[in-house]
Amino acid sequence: MSLKTISPRFLIPVGLALAASQGAQAAPPAGQVLASQCAQCHGTNGNGPGFDEVAGKSASELQKDLLEMKRRPVEGIMDRQARGYTDAQIKLIADYLAAHSGSNLDK
Amino acid sequence: MMHTFSRRRFLQLAGMASAASVLPQAFGAAPAARVVVVGGGFGGATVAKYLRMWGGDIEVTLVDPNLSHIACILSNLVVTGALTMDRITLGYNALNVNHGVKMRHGRVIAIDYERGTVSLDNGPREPYDHLVLSPGIDFIPPPEGPWDPNVTPHAWQAGPQTLLLKKQLASMRDRDTFVMTVPKSPYRCPPGPYERACVVADYLKRKKLIFAKVVVLDANPSIQAEPLAFTEAFNFIYKGMIEYVPNATVLAVNSQTRSIQTSAGDWSNVRVLNYIPNQRAAAVGPPDSPDRGWPVLNSQGFVPVNPLTYGVSKYPNVHVIGDACAVPASEGKAVPKSGHMANAEAKVCADAILRSLNGESPDSNITTNSACFSPITSTTASWLSANFNYGDIYDGVGKVKGKGMHRVDLGEAPRTNGDNYQDMFTWAEGLFADSFA
Repeated sequence: MSLKTISPRFLIPVGLALAASQGAQAAPPAGQVLASQCAQCHGTNGNGPGFDEVAGKSASELQKDLLEMKRRPVEGIMDRQARGYTDAQIKLIADYLAAHSGSNLDK
Repeated sequence: MMHTFSRRRFLQLAGMASAASVLPQAFGAAPAARVVVVGGGFGGATVAKYLRMWGGDIEVTLVDPNLSHIACILSNLVVTGALTMDRITLGYNALNVNHGVKMRHGRVIAIDYERGTVSLDNGPREPYDHLVLSPGIDFIPPPEGPWDPNVTPHAWQAGPQTLLLKKQLASMRDRDTFVMTVPKSPYRCPPGPYERACVVADYLKRKKLIFAKVVVLDANPSIQAEPLAFTEAFNFIYKGMIEYVPNATVLAVNSQTRSIQTSAGDWSNVRVLNYIPNQRAAAVGPPDSPDRGWPVLNSQGFVPVNPLTYGVSKYPNVHVIGDACAVPASEGKAVPKSGHMANAEAKVCADAILRSLNGESPDSNITTNSACFSPITSTTASWLSANFNYGDIYDGVGKVKGKGMHRVDLGEAPRTNGDNYQDMFTWAEGLFADSFA
């Protein structure tokens, strides 16, 4: 039985039971909400459909791409979007997407 | 990996949890928390999906009277016949099949915020631990009528209204006039009315109705979004065809005679009157209930929310997202009301709800963004981009007035072109899927 075939419904209550108080589950990974703002155009968890899939890129590639777009003259919409984040936020987003794209445990 | 965790150990843990009143009933019988979401547009669909995706066993019920959502996004292209309705019709099935969102098709008739229940026009009440309200907008009737949107459509909620306006546009002949209004800000989709003026004018040009006119009566003093693209379109591409009239406050509308009176002049017996009224948060209670069923409203008729949780002050477990909410923002830099922004807010709200259920404070390192494409002709488009960061927000003279979503970047396409027109469909496909699939 692989992880993929197990519904998350069965996984979560374990976490729930382990949690001391009200318990939903462990704290969400850093950058989750920030990175979720990419999904409108790049797909949930960066997996498409939409513009260039982010899935499969390393954190350093993503970070480099975003910083480059942030600093070059505005031509495309991403050159603007990248300007909306601090360099620290860009790093968090890149790290999160590199770790979480390419899979969708919910499906 | 999972089979190393024995069933026996699992049941022991579940039992412990039960004893600690985490699970009030045996495992499988009761969820950790119940969230009810009212309104199945971009905000409601996204918050339901992400609560399930991020929250595991949270029980999420999405309430909407309709069997599918018809997107306003791209609907101006249905008005001109470039697209058909099926392209903007988004079903709820994927939310249920892929994410386990429970659908409840009914209309909300009352909300008991004290007891935490939602009453519908059919079936039992829905109790909730957290409630997310994403009902969209209602229209404020003109000061004087008779106004009947089934005669003079606004087409600002997609569906039969879109098809009615399409039919009326198709009936236009040369020298006819299409009169439309831009509502007073804030309203749904700031670039939308100007986009409509452009694609309607483009349609008339392509039909060789070169003496037909489009009159844009704007309640605001200037173009509210993408001023570069729309000023160029009105002054050059559609010169002599689109007449733009700023500061036109609507005084009276007569749908039967297709006539409108404004502070900037009157237009009578026009061929098409596309009166888009001023807007406020959609009612969530009976029409005669105080504040139309809302626990709190601002002077513009929208619901003030906490920018980190979208909770309302009196009931922190009641959240309002999308067009209905008023996010604290810097003066003159309001958070736009749009499907894309509703999706953005939904994710912040979902994360805050899950953290709250976990006894944690909300994440304050958050941004929301708006990105959209607007057709200017049948082959070209422009785009708009805006980012909002949580932090200090400022009044008109640059003094900090509190915390909220401060607009840190805003811009439009340096030029309108065909690539943007193609990108518009990629953008819509992505947004539709992230929200509804």
